[in-house]
Amino acid sequence: MDDDRLISKKEVLERMGISYGQLYRWKRKGLIPEAWFTRRSTFTGQETFFPREKIIERIEQIKDMKGDHPLDDLADVITMHVDAKLQVAFDQLKSLKWFDDSILETCRIDRGRAKPLSIQETLCVAVLSRLRQVARSEELELVHRTLTERLDEALLDRVAEERLQLYLLRKRLSGGGISAEISMVAIAPAKVVFDPDIEQIEAVDLGHVLERIKLDLAKEAEVGSPGGKTDQDTEDVQ
Amino acid sequence: MNDEKRSASLSGAGKLSGGDYTRVSISGAGKVTGDLKAEALRISGAGKVEGRTEALQIAVSGSSAFGGDVVAEEMRVSGAARIDGVARVKELKCSGSYRVKESIAAEYVKISGVLRVGGDVEADLFKTSGGFEIEGLLSADKVEIRPGGRCHAREIGGARIDVRRGGYRERGILLDGLVRMFSGRGTAELSATVIEGDEIHLEDTSADVVRGKRVEIGPGCRIGTVEYSEQLDIHPDAEVKNQTKT
Repeated sequence: MDDDRLISKKEVLERMGISYGQLYRWKRKGLIPEAWFTRRSTFTGQETFFPREKIIERIEQIKDMKGDHPLDDLADVITMHVDAKLQVAFDQLKSLKWFDDSILETCRIDRGRAKPLSIQETLCVAVLSRLRQVARSEELELVHRTLTERLDEALLDRVAEERLQLYLLRKRLSGGGISAEISMVAIAPAKVVFDPDIEQIEAVDLGHVLERIKLDLAKEAEVGSPGGKTDQDTEDVQ
Repeated sequence: MNDEKRSASLSGAGKLSGGDYTRVSISGAGKVTGDLKAEALRISGAGKVEGRTEALQIAVSGSSAFGGDVVAEEMRVSGAARIDGVARVKELKCSGSYRVKESIAAEYVKISGVLRVGGDVEADLFKTSGGFEIEGLLSADKVEIRPGGRCHAREIGGARIDVRRGGYRERGILLDGLVRMFSGRGTAELSATVIEGDEIHLEDTSADVVRGKRVEIGPGCRIGTVEYSEQLDIHPDAEVKNQTKT
């Protein structure tokens, strides 16, 4: 592991101007994933390290948003733990920038519909909008089918934990003067290795997409449109 | 679909099948088979829930065993509780012994007696007098420990960490006996590999590393390295091998 991609806890506190208390509290609330904590022995004793870019980005997010949200709500928003029952109000989604009629069509979502989107549908929209620059329309269709048919709740729960990626792949086969290209879609953990003939068109980090969705929705909610709450039984904790 | 909830009461020796109840009361030796959901669960005597338990209030006097996770707003134990899963309890109070196979997630934890946890303990406020063994991380905004036996956590982290002598004398003879029995030795001290916090006060503590903003190392401490950013005080009866200001 290259060390310049890691940052020590001490350095995080110093650089971000936060306290031990805050860091431990955020960890408890699930705002900082357990998987980011790496313990190592150093000459001064055991120390904790984090992936540098991720932790800095995350703490900036938390600091940005915590003025407007109680910490527990924020956890719902940022936490990587996916609530499969989370429903995304369609109205809210409409105002988000990653919306596009062709994508809606691929996902078979009617723009006029009033029913909220499920988390799978939302994820699908988000993933497709990331792929639309590079993918062909039949590939988008394949991605859509993969996400709707294969991504059940159990798999959704594993997204964050196993850092699942959605891979869009192409493989060219040729022989006897004929060549053909086939497209493939896979959901697999990061760092998966494919055969050398496979061209990786794109890999989308599904956990990242989920986070993004929640964050975007939270920002929308700040503007004042109701209905973005994920919890029915949230109480006012002050 | 059936919204009709029942309440159940077992006395003597009995078995109750799991399900959704209003109040469940076990006195004598009782067992609930399967998962239990109840507004209130009261165990006096010896009670066991074989599956997962979800309740607003759990009160135990005597001994209790839970075969799965326990989720509750409030849990009070005088006597013993053993949980073979996760304890997710908002307010947890125990005098006696509390053993959890996995982890505790709470807002408030107060234990006088013995605590044994196979994983992490998370709370806003954590208070113990007695002994404990936490195999993972003990994390709370405020950690207050009065060692009354052997106390150990792999790591401790939070905003304020306060470890002081004196837990021993405040309690009755019975509890002391219990604590000694479980903790094995007569020593009343805390050990941890790493202790991190903003304000730290330690007594009778041994640790490899202590990191904090303002750190006070009191009597009876043996610390490998203290890293502090603002202030460090070391009592003459304490041993600190290395110290660095960062």
